[in-house]
Amino acid sequence: MTSKERILNKCAKAADGAFAMPELDDIAAVEYPDPLKQFCATSEAVGGKVVELADNQDINELVRSLFPEARRIASNLTEISIADTNPDLVENACELNGTDLGIIRGEFGVAENGCIWIPQTMKQRAVCFISENLVILLPRQNIVNNMHEAYKRISFNDYGYGTFISGPSKTADIAQVLVMGAQAARSVTVILI
Amino acid sequence: MSTFHSKSAKSFLKDEKYSSWHDKTFWSVRQKRDAMAEKLDEWEQLREKASRIKLHTLSHLDKYLEEFSGNAEKNGVKVHWAADAAEFNEIVFGILSSHGVKKLVKSKSMLTEECEMNPYLEARGIEVVETDLGERIIQLKGQKPSHIVMPAIHLNHDDVGELFERKGISDQPGNHDPSYLTYMARLSLRGEFLSADAGMTGANFGIAATGDIVVCTNEGNADMSTSLPKLQISAIGLEKIIPDYASLAVFQRMLCRAGTGQPSTTYTSHFRKARCEDGEMHIILVDNGRSDWLADPAHREILKCIRCGSCMNTCPVYRRSGGYSYSYFIPGPIGINLGMLRSARQHSGNLSACTLCRSCETVCPVKIGLAEQIYSWRQSLSGLGTFNRSKKLMSDAMSLVFNHQGLYDAATGAESVMNIVPRDWMPFGLRFPRKPFHKLVKEDDK
Ligand code: SF4
Repeated sequence: MTSKERILNKCAKAADGAFAMPELDDIAAVEYPDPLKQFCATSEAVGGKVVELADNQDINELVRSLFPEARRIASNLTEISIADTNPDLVENACELNGTDLGIIRGEFGVAENGCIWIPQTMKQRAVCFISENLVILLPRQNIVNNMHEAYKRISFNDYGYGTFISGPSKTADIAQVLVMGAQAARSVTVILI
Repeated sequence: MSTFHSKSAKSFLKDEKYSSWHDKTFWSVRQKRDAMAEKLDEWEQLREKASRIKLHTLSHLDKYLEEFSGNAEKNGVKVHWAADAAEFNEIVFGILSSHGVKKLVKSKSMLTEECEMNPYLEARGIEVVETDLGERIIQLKGQKPSHIVMPAIHLNHDDVGELFERKGISDQPGNHDPSYLTYMARLSLRGEFLSADAGMTGANFGIAATGDIVVCTNEGNADMSTSLPKLQISAIGLEKIIPDYASLAVFQRMLCRAGTGQPSTTYTSHFRKARCEDGEMHIILVDNGRSDWLADPAHREILKCIRCGSCMNTCPVYRRSGGYSYSYFIPGPIGINLGMLRSARQHSGNLSACTLCRSCETVCPVKIGLAEQIYSWRQSLSGLGTFNRSKKLMSDAMSLVFNHQGLYDAATGAESVMNIVPRDWMPFGLRFPRKPFHKLVKEDDK
């Protein structure tokens, strides 16, 4: 017998089928009068920054004004013209090390916890983590209240990877002092488009 | 007469400044958790749902395991099954050696700790680099975690600063500022990520309906570990499988609120496939005792645990004795229980580290009857005629922890006094584990 068979047999014997799956649609989950406002407040609370793109404002100009010092910028978004590295064209993900700014798109935001759903839409997803600073473009009408709504909405493409990101990488592992910028992006700026 | 726990607690309490900091730090994490829970009217409803989802999944575990592994395989993932720690380590080594891996970067996993994977791999020439900052610190120190979520909580910034100086990670002697040290660790770990041949993660959840491995981190180290190398291995205990995304939403909302008092971890990452065409993703499903615990109706509910850490944060004994006072590698109320399941003979001393205050049961997001379970283990001891002795041990341990001067502050004083008296002693007395203790002692260590 393989270990798989042994384990499954043992579990089948032990699992008595006694408990039914509970109803989950009846969870009275938090909703907000203004989900966008709540999303912005939560994002700030988790260490992120939220900026609105004004009507007629050029996204590249806005990003430049936010990161005047960024030299190496990586993005595969067609509307981003200031990028000098395209993560779709990078052969070895390690080449993205040293990226000052990564610019990616988020599908929707979650008001209760500041999470943004980021399905992988580039060959090298490392750009979402390895960049010193991360900018996420997020359509302002795409905000859900809570994770129940969020998990009804997420979808995957062929890359088979997606992540919720809520603010910058952080740690309190040294003496419980909160420090932004552990192993991944040191700052996260959400631009509402 | 004293147990390992009471002896170790005594030495922990000698450093009054540190032990009082430890106590207060965890109490403030507990308060952050309370603030999060109070913000959600549905919190108690979520706990009830979470508990029921787990009970349901466990009582149908064979089916969910098959669904999970079937879907993962459809996604092109190679799924392995490990009956015990030895088989798990062999599988990991087999994958790594067939790819010629010299360096493995990994994110935090209590399961690899349980299986003692790192020393196994290192003895076979593979360098293993922990990439969670806390885990990295204790790895460099040659220590074990003292908390499942905050593994280096027993060290202060001077300890870490001196360690980093010795290891050549920091370049400013005497600079022990946590921001500076974190930045220097970032630079050092960056080099490790870039030169690794494979990445490994644990798993917070496995989703049966989709085959996803879900990993929650604040640092992004699981994602760094798996987006640079092309080979990914994810290790998951059998009990971490849940049915679907609707279930995941419940747990995702609770895990971090309960554990650290944040509304979410920074990253909630879903891994479904190898990251590129010439890459590979492997999932190893690990039993290592879990199917036996599933077959034990008296203690099965321990398998509901999502390892949030909340029960140790709130535990008055953990807060005042620290993670190293327990003989099992997972401390606190859940660790006492897991240790008993692992080896009653080796770990029964930890049973003394509980006042039956049931604070853990109040916070546990999946509503495990942690204190009730501990009480029932004590009752099994009494079946052996050792109850008086063990009760003596327990009262010794408690008087040590609770009568120690200088530990009480206004915030916790009132609560602590309440904790000395078990509230619901009587109702527990009606429950007995199905297996007598002498049988457990014979059966453990298999
Ligand atoms: S027993 Fe409950 S509170 Fe303790 S770690 Fe597990 S889920 Fe969290």
